[in-house]
Amino acid sequence: MIDFQSGYILRPVNPVFIFVSLFCALLLNLLPLGNHAWVPDWLIICIVFWNIHQHRYVGVVWASLLGLVMDVHNSDLLGLHAFSYALVAYLAVAWHRRISALQVYAQALHVLPIFMLVSVFPVLVHWLLTGSMYWWGLGGVLQGIIEAALWPLATKLLLAPQRRPIDVDPNRPL
Amino acid sequence: MLIDFRFKAIDLVRDSINLGLRPLEYVMQLPRNLITASDTYFTTRSTLANENIELKQRQMELTLLANQSELLRVENQNLRQLLNLQKEVAYKTIPVEILYNPSNPISQRVVIDRGAEDGLKLGNPIASDSGILGQVVRLYAGSAEVSLLEDRDFAVPVQVARNGLRAAVFGTGRGNLLELRYLPVASDLEVGDVLLTSGIDGTYPPGFAVAMITRIERNIDKNTANVFCAPVAGINSHRQALALLYDPQWDAKPSEGTSENTPGRRKTRIRGMP
Repeated sequence: MIDFQSGYILRPVNPVFIFVSLFCALLLNLLPLGNHAWVPDWLIICIVFWNIHQHRYVGVVWASLLGLVMDVHNSDLLGLHAFSYALVAYLAVAWHRRISALQVYAQALHVLPIFMLVSVFPVLVHWLLTGSMYWWGLGGVLQGIIEAALWPLATKLLLAPQRRPIDVDPNRPL
Repeated sequence: MLIDFRFKAIDLVRDSINLGLRPLEYVMQLPRNLITASDTYFTTRSTLANENIELKQRQMELTLLANQSELLRVENQNLRQLLNLQKEVAYKTIPVEILYNPSNPISQRVVIDRGAEDGLKLGNPIASDSGILGQVVRLYAGSAEVSLLEDRDFAVPVQVARNGLRAAVFGTGRGNLLELRYLPVASDLEVGDVLLTSGIDGTYPPGFAVAMITRIERNIDKNTANVFCAPVAGINSHRQALALLYDPQWDAKPSEGTSENTPGRRKTRIRGMP
């Protein structure tokens, strides 16, 4: 795969790294940080990242399974996160060619609506089900913005193993 | 999603995922627990000594009160027997620890570390030392989810401590004041009135403090009063709480045999004033 930032060809991805990173993101989501609308959802950043870069490994199915776990943790209706994660994973996979060809900050702008959709989705579903709107739940928009701002960092971290040089000179490591 | 909302039919899936998730949650809560634990470990000697003195005084006062209350309780039981009223229901309490506050824009809940295995039942109230915190809304084997007073449309039947006026307190969502609804303008309410659980629903034991009235807006045109009150127990500032295993023989649900017993509950003893 070509890294469009540098123009170099990336190393092949290690599937173990993908699943370890997803697991770590899940663990970060389990941190007891309280009920604040702006706390970023680390898991969806990781899922969308792998949807865009490695959609053959992480697709809609993984997204919805991990969403199910988040439903149980957040005591939501079972399937709320599963559905929104799957929907977003579909969008990310469908857009992956366009997004991966962009510069990293343009990528962040492209994933912003995706993250916002995830954040606002529970409020919208509750609105549909019960007819009452939770205006402060729309603070999730802030969460989407923070997640999009974290996108360059996520790219740096999650692509780092693939950006390692192929032949390292042991005598002159730089 | 719809299946869960309408039928609650897939609790098995939820239970099994929760079982797998619990150890992971425990691991991720370790850093916070360690920080709080070390924080309490390094308190100075003088704070501890002061606290000790205060606790001793408090204990003396409470022992005195407890001795008197035993007398009052016996007297009350006897009088109730004489008047042919329903007996006060005794209940057990178990200490619970609040594990975390799930991030969920719609509801205000906490997860506690006791569940069905410890005898907790759906609907059991959770209280702190100063008042009611909430109610168990979902049970797992070793944990439970508690809906807090602040949760939107969470209702508690209350009685004004000063004059016994009955009403219902409703939650209005995160961070907002609670609301007393469906009261006429002329109702005898004052700012500073304490609201106690009335116990007529069969869920909350009577006499627990719930909230204190902070603002009253009397709307004469519509003949309604907007009454706002603040919860007595600091809802989001606790780690430890008590679950009240309250199970009265009668119930708010309609069933045979309860109709002649329920009117006897009107006279409730006021207890647990803050």
